[in-house]
Amino acid sequence: MSSLLEREATATGTTGGRPPQRRRRQSRAQLIVRTRPWLLLAPALILLGGLLIWPLVRVFLFSLQDYGLREIVTGESNYIGFGNYAEIFANPLLWTVVLPNTIGFAVVSVSATVIFGTLVAMLMASLGSVWRTIVGSAIMVAWAMPAVTGTYVWIWIFDADQGLVNETLKNLGLMNESFNWFTNPFTFYAIVALNIVHHGFPFVAITVLAGLLGVSKEMIEAAEMDGAGPIRRFFAIIFPTLKPVFSVVIILSTIWDFKVFAQIYLMPGGAGSNREVLNLGVWSYVESFGQNRYGFGAAIAVLLTVLLLVITAIYVRTLFKEEKE
Amino acid sequence: MKKRYLPIAMFAIAALGLTACSDGAADTADTAEGDTLNVWIMQGTNPDTEAFFDTVGDAFTEKTGATLNVDFVQWADAHDRFVTAIAGGTTPDVAETGTTWTAEFADAGALAPIGDYVTEAGLDDDLVEGLVDSGTYDGDLYGMPWYAGVRSIIYRTDVFDELGLAAPTTWQELVDAATVIKAQRPDLTPFPVAGDAEMLTYPWVWGAGGEVATLEGDQWVSGLDSAKSRDGIAFYTGLATEHDFSTAGATTWKETDILDNFAQGTVAMAISGSWTPAALLEKAPDLEGKLGAIPIPGQTGGISPSVLGGSHLSMFNTSKNKDLAWEFMQLMTTGDFAQQWADQTGYFPGNTKLLQTAIESDDALVQPFAEQMVDGGGALPVTPKFGAVQAKKTTNAMIQAILSGQKTVDEATADAAAEMNDIMNGN
Amino acid sequence: MRRNFGPRTVIKGLVVAALLIFTLFPAYWMISSSFDARASSGGQSLLPQEFTWDNYIFVFEEGGFGTFLRNSFVVAFFTVLISGILALLASVAVARFKFKFRTSVLILILTVQMVPLEALVIPLFVQVRDLQLLNSLIGLVVVYLAFSLPFAIWMLRGFVAAVPVELEEAAYLDGASWGRMFRSVMLPLVAPGLVATSIFSFIVAWNEFIFAMTLLGGASEKFTVAIGLKQFFGLHSNDWGPVMAASTIITIPVMIFFIIVQRRLSGGLVSGAVKG
Repeated sequence: MSSLLEREATATGTTGGRPPQRRRRQSRAQLIVRTRPWLLLAPALILLGGLLIWPLVRVFLFSLQDYGLREIVTGESNYIGFGNYAEIFANPLLWTVVLPNTIGFAVVSVSATVIFGTLVAMLMASLGSVWRTIVGSAIMVAWAMPAVTGTYVWIWIFDADQGLVNETLKNLGLMNESFNWFTNPFTFYAIVALNIVHHGFPFVAITVLAGLLGVSKEMIEAAEMDGAGPIRRFFAIIFPTLKPVFSVVIILSTIWDFKVFAQIYLMPGGAGSNREVLNLGVWSYVESFGQNRYGFGAAIAVLLTVLLLVITAIYVRTLFKEEKE
Repeated sequence: MKKRYLPIAMFAIAALGLTACSDGAADTADTAEGDTLNVWIMQGTNPDTEAFFDTVGDAFTEKTGATLNVDFVQWADAHDRFVTAIAGGTTPDVAETGTTWTAEFADAGALAPIGDYVTEAGLDDDLVEGLVDSGTYDGDLYGMPWYAGVRSIIYRTDVFDELGLAAPTTWQELVDAATVIKAQRPDLTPFPVAGDAEMLTYPWVWGAGGEVATLEGDQWVSGLDSAKSRDGIAFYTGLATEHDFSTAGATTWKETDILDNFAQGTVAMAISGSWTPAALLEKAPDLEGKLGAIPIPGQTGGISPSVLGGSHLSMFNTSKNKDLAWEFMQLMTTGDFAQQWADQTGYFPGNTKLLQTAIESDDALVQPFAEQMVDGGGALPVTPKFGAVQAKKTTNAMIQAILSGQKTVDEATADAAAEMNDIMNGN
Repeated sequence: MRRNFGPRTVIKGLVVAALLIFTLFPAYWMISSSFDARASSGGQSLLPQEFTWDNYIFVFEEGGFGTFLRNSFVVAFFTVLISGILALLASVAVARFKFKFRTSVLILILTVQMVPLEALVIPLFVQVRDLQLLNSLIGLVVVYLAFSLPFAIWMLRGFVAAVPVELEEAAYLDGASWGRMFRSVMLPLVAPGLVATSIFSFIVAWNEFIFAMTLLGGASEKFTVAIGLKQFFGLHSNDWGPVMAASTIITIPVMIFFIIVQRRLSGGLVSGAVKG
């Protein structure tokens, strides 16, 4: 039953449905039908409204205040207009470190995750069922590793004094002295990227694989007969068919990678002592809780949200445009 | 009709189940009513903290009839946890507060003044002055001096004996000794320079005649970018960048990492607190008899001052039974328990009468620290804002940037001084 | 399977091997050093040198991970259960009914997924404080529900839409009420989707870190595994053996859960994603 459903789910393209047709058309029944969706939505919407949307409004209100520990304790407000924003935009750290780190890292890790995940998916699609299951399970293991755990494992692998990488390089004679991988922003973010890609590609691979299995074999074979190489075939047939899958995968990865926090915060120097590696999330957290400047931290958070909302808007537009067609 | 409400009913049942399930563990702060005193103590100060507080708890119950509930908090998380607890109104009755935090929390209105209690108990003249200074905010005492410590240098006497070295008394001698160690014992790190440990930086600033920050009029002025401070910082970081006495890994080390590496036997000399030898020997018993301590040498002799740090016991405004809280604070900071605590931890008591006996100790692992404390104790700026400077990791960032080569000493100190001025005078 | 060992097969074999090493190595390294008595003293190598259970004993006795695991299980269980129920109800509404503002609701659900969680630390902290739920696992569950719901609704929507309308109509023709139809037709058919969404709710609850840290602040007996591990690491930062043992302990339940639901997952992801 379930496998049937899965196939149905991937194959059918219709969305929504018709409201149930009732024989008797009493106004009371109609009222029920009309309110039913709202009744069904109510618990979820109440929860989201109370715990995501209202807090989001409050973040914005905080960001217009000089909001410190005193204000939190007493509940007073202390509006200062857009002072926090002015300070953020005047801070050279934003332009030279924080924004480049945030955006640059998201671009690099999103493309690395998506490309690598897609390649793995294509590899898996070409494997027999036994090996596909083996690789699939291995991928699950990588995915299942909690971010905190994974981060500590990578920290240890790259540890300057006892880490595997340094030991190996030294034993191979490629390096004379231990190198501290966490002090240089590039190697720091390279490790974060490795961590993120390792943790993130399984989602891409599994999703794309499921999509790939739905692409019609005939079309690919026909293209092969026409002499199209693998790259041509990918861009001419597979990519267009899987476009919705890719758009979802890319946008979700973007959101997740923009918001990366724990993987940076837990790294040596990542919690603020190495200024070169700050990103928007960590910066906001450090300013809020270290400095008790919740207003300033909130303003940074608003900035991050706006950035993501712009990306979302683009996503929603492409998605709903396709749905309408 | 009835059936339609099923989903909502399911939700309600689930919610009930949830309440029932976590109920058992859901009450901490509210039961302070009457006869339980909630206390937060920092973890790791005493190698056997829990046994100590078991005894204290028994004595406390005997004396007052109330139960003592102690939670152990890690230093690394403590500041955030205090802040969230203050914001959330879930603070304990009494907590150990680091000396640089007391003024900050008092400023936030979270602490209760204890001056009257102290006077009533006749303790006014018995409190160690440095700790009273840092526990006072706006003329009121908020932090009850509990214990104090200083950092000095610990070193491996076996290594020094083997190589025929004498304990350094000036900065140059320190470099000379480390040079020999580096040449003769390549398996050892002669002198690690930890990048994530601000307290290890200040001795060199003060030793070179510089200042961390001074109050001029009503403005704080950071002295980190003065020529003298730069001298000291350049020397300290130079131990790593110029002389290569440190390791690459140390750039991201915290103080505890130094200790761990010392315990593993890979470090020859390091700045370390008066409370560490006991912990070190417990962790690495084979270092017994191989451990020595000296005050941090002055630039050309004498002692480079190091931070007189320590802890207060502070009473929180949320405490419902302040007299009971004071009973506990008094029990901890005077008499037997204060003495025992000092003996077990290697800290110095915050009570002058007890301190005197400690200073007269002839233990080779206590005496140098006592000397440092009496003759070379330095104080960080007493202002709630300095806690914010610490939280911003201004000094750590400065050292780390120099060690990793991101900035020169001049650039890094200038940036750090500017940031410090901003935080201490601004917002 | 073809028995054809041409150069392409060999290359593919090498690629698969490399992939397996890359995906499994961190987990292998974590597990192997957690059993290595010498992991903490810099003596570890690719194979454990001296097999020992000491690290695990230490983690449970000194680290308190028994409590952390129990807390995390409680939190994860209720997050998964409640978000599954709420998401199912909501997804039926958006997939099956045409009503005013349907698109707006959808856009809203999609948009709230974008909100960076760090941004909400302070207001949610204040919110939870006002609900008197600080230092309690209920407070944490409520917050995690909010985080996992949007994605769950989004994914389940695809499953619900895929249930043939004809089946529903057949149920009505047989005289079933809407509630009856929901239970006996809809629920069994979207069950695989519920499994797939439960993965995400589970991950949120099991891995989340900032809110656990701020909302549970002073109550270490309420800690979940993620902050338990952070605290443990803070105390024993160079004792890699116990740290890796603790990491292994908190990873294993997730791995088991993942492997159990693996087969359901791929279908769920695509229907959720593509229909998105």
